[in-house]
Amino acid sequence: MELLEYQAKELFRIVGIPILPSLTIQDARKIKQLQIPYPVVLKSQVRSGGRGKAGGIRFVANTIDAIAAARSIFNLSILGEYPEVILAEAHYNTERELFLAIVLDYDLKCPVLLGSARGGMNIDSLLSNLQQVAVTDEFTLFYARQLATRMGLSGNLICSVSEIMAKMYRLFKEQDLDLIEINPLGVNNKGELMALDGRIKINDHALARQPIIETLNFSSQQRASADHSVWTTNKNFSQVNWRWLDWHQKNGKIGMICSSFDSALLTWDLLDQNKVVTACGALIENSLVTEGDNLQLYREQLLSILRQLESFAEIKVIILNIWDIEAVNRQIAQTVVDYCQVLEEAAELATSKQILVDEEIDPSQSPQVSVVTHRKPYFVLRLLNHSNINDLASSEQIYLSSSLEDSIHQAIAIVKSS
Amino acid sequence: MNWFHPNKVIIQGITDDRAAFCALQMKTYGTDIIAGVCPGKGGTTVEGLPVFDLVEQVQTEFGKVEISLIFVDPYQVLDAAKEAIAAGIRCIIVFTSKVPPQDTIALLKCAQQTNTLVLGPGSHGIVIPQQVWLGNLQPQFYQPGIVGLITSSRHLGYEVAAELNVAQIGQSMIVSVGNDRIIGSDLAYWLATFNEDPHTKAIVVIGQRISQVDSIIAYKQNHADKKPIVVYLVGLKAPQTKIYQDAVTIITNHLSASIPIANRDRQTATKLRKIGLKIAKSPSDITHLIKQALADNS
Repeated sequence: MELLEYQAKELFRIVGIPILPSLTIQDARKIKQLQIPYPVVLKSQVRSGGRGKAGGIRFVANTIDAIAAARSIFNLSILGEYPEVILAEAHYNTERELFLAIVLDYDLKCPVLLGSARGGMNIDSLLSNLQQVAVTDEFTLFYARQLATRMGLSGNLICSVSEIMAKMYRLFKEQDLDLIEINPLGVNNKGELMALDGRIKINDHALARQPIIETLNFSSQQRASADHSVWTTNKNFSQVNWRWLDWHQKNGKIGMICSSFDSALLTWDLLDQNKVVTACGALIENSLVTEGDNLQLYREQLLSILRQLESFAEIKVIILNIWDIEAVNRQIAQTVVDYCQVLEEAAELATSKQILVDEEIDPSQSPQVSVVTHRKPYFVLRLLNHSNINDLASSEQIYLSSSLEDSIHQAIAIVKSS
Repeated sequence: MNWFHPNKVIIQGITDDRAAFCALQMKTYGTDIIAGVCPGKGGTTVEGLPVFDLVEQVQTEFGKVEISLIFVDPYQVLDAAKEAIAAGIRCIIVFTSKVPPQDTIALLKCAQQTNTLVLGPGSHGIVIPQQVWLGNLQPQFYQPGIVGLITSSRHLGYEVAAELNVAQIGQSMIVSVGNDRIIGSDLAYWLATFNEDPHTKAIVVIGQRISQVDSIIAYKQNHADKKPIVVYLVGLKAPQTKIYQDAVTIITNHLSASIPIANRDRQTATKLRKIGLKIAKSPSDITHLIKQALADNS
């Protein structure tokens, strides 16, 4: 979960990292209540980087300018995201700008302190001056001093920057952060420090145990992008669920339904190796542990996927790669057979409808007909122990196999022959 | 750790449905499961197994426990594992996934200091076909044989095993290393274990992450072993979100997603080939490569 700047600064304030006086605004007219002396900086609160270049940060000298600027910021989308909040902040005269961050390094299995003497908007120069120190044991200030020295800092700055780093580290540990960043950390002519912008990412797997999230007002975009399991603690243990994979390709000829994320990766790879474009993928996950339980639910979920796949006009083949027990396999085969039959009947009905063109048919009486088109996809079912269900799925429209690679080849053959 | 005769196994978090199901299956199979632990549920039974409030109470009753299988909620994993380690258990398999990374780091530090083997978080356990079953991999999909299989994915393990079974090569042991971003015993550890195992003649690694590949390379460079290693990388073509592991790459990507981070997949494959590892293109290709390598060796 990535925090917005003003939320990050709220956390900075709690641990004593210096921030400027500021006000969050949800309505441009509220700017009149601003207590901060002008000039003021207005900043769009969106998650995407590069908001400065996109026009999301404006300097204003008086209330009239501020209202106009705030209106335009509220109406400016940055990489598709409109701000719900603007941060109005005092102006700060910096002499130089530093970059500080702490990131969890998954390879080293420890937090890493990062710093650059060239903070600010110029990312290339920032990165080419980037220094790092891995915190391999309990944090103490010397790790931060090591970093400050490597950054080329000298004099009082070594200690004052290290103090800031120690406060960042405290947040990092206490709030289960993946990342905390101050960029820029402004240094004024007296050598005082100010966190001018900041970003914080809380680890999704720890979010539910962080009481701080109760006090931060998350935007709708933040909520939408978070792993939905973060918000719901119930495990849905004895259920069948399905969801789309976030993978889509235009002009894809194959729709894919798999029983696990890994088998979806595998199926997609094998199709891609043969230069066949997969349109989309759905996962149907069966967390039932007792055999034969809730087979009806499995059927409903599968039908729901099939109905949604109808909107992909280019799909010629629907491949199912399901690794499950025999009772489920039988249910899958039966569901697909029934589905094909409904398509068949609908096609016949549509033909007869054309003959009876003058007669008015109430669409509510045949709801399935309204969504069905004349197009009938082929089905390739990769199910284990298929010999026991062969009797069910004997149709030229349905291909049944227990071998994955055999199923892939069949799907490819159908796509290439059509 | 002698994996061929695991004695006195307990389950922490046995009241979880998944754990109870797993316990029942393992018990039926003949695994030496002696008890479950769940704070507040001591004195009850789950699937015929006695439940205790504390790990040490199990040991008072049954003597020294060898392995603990941990199924507790993610936020309780660190605590449960520390309890097991404090009780002197030196082999822990964490089935729970999505453990907060700072907890995993703390757990691994504790394990390192006590010389405890940790498998997972997010592991599915270990199977030695027709001999040992620890966890929730389904043993009916495996057949005894000569290939040591290392994977983080249950399903990909089944797919590869299915091909090996058809080719009558079979598996000597299957280990699921866990699918969290930070895991305990890694590929290098299991490569070393399989290398010493007399029943294993060839090793297959099913990888989904570049970092895993780096540890294979590191292992191979330090060990002049003769057992062929076949690597199968899955998900290279699928448009999944890239997950970065190291601090500098993470911060670079965070600062500006527009800075291109080199697609390292191809480079990785090249690196692997250079040090003499075989890369499989598909599950059936694995059996092909193994047969070839075994023929070359003999």
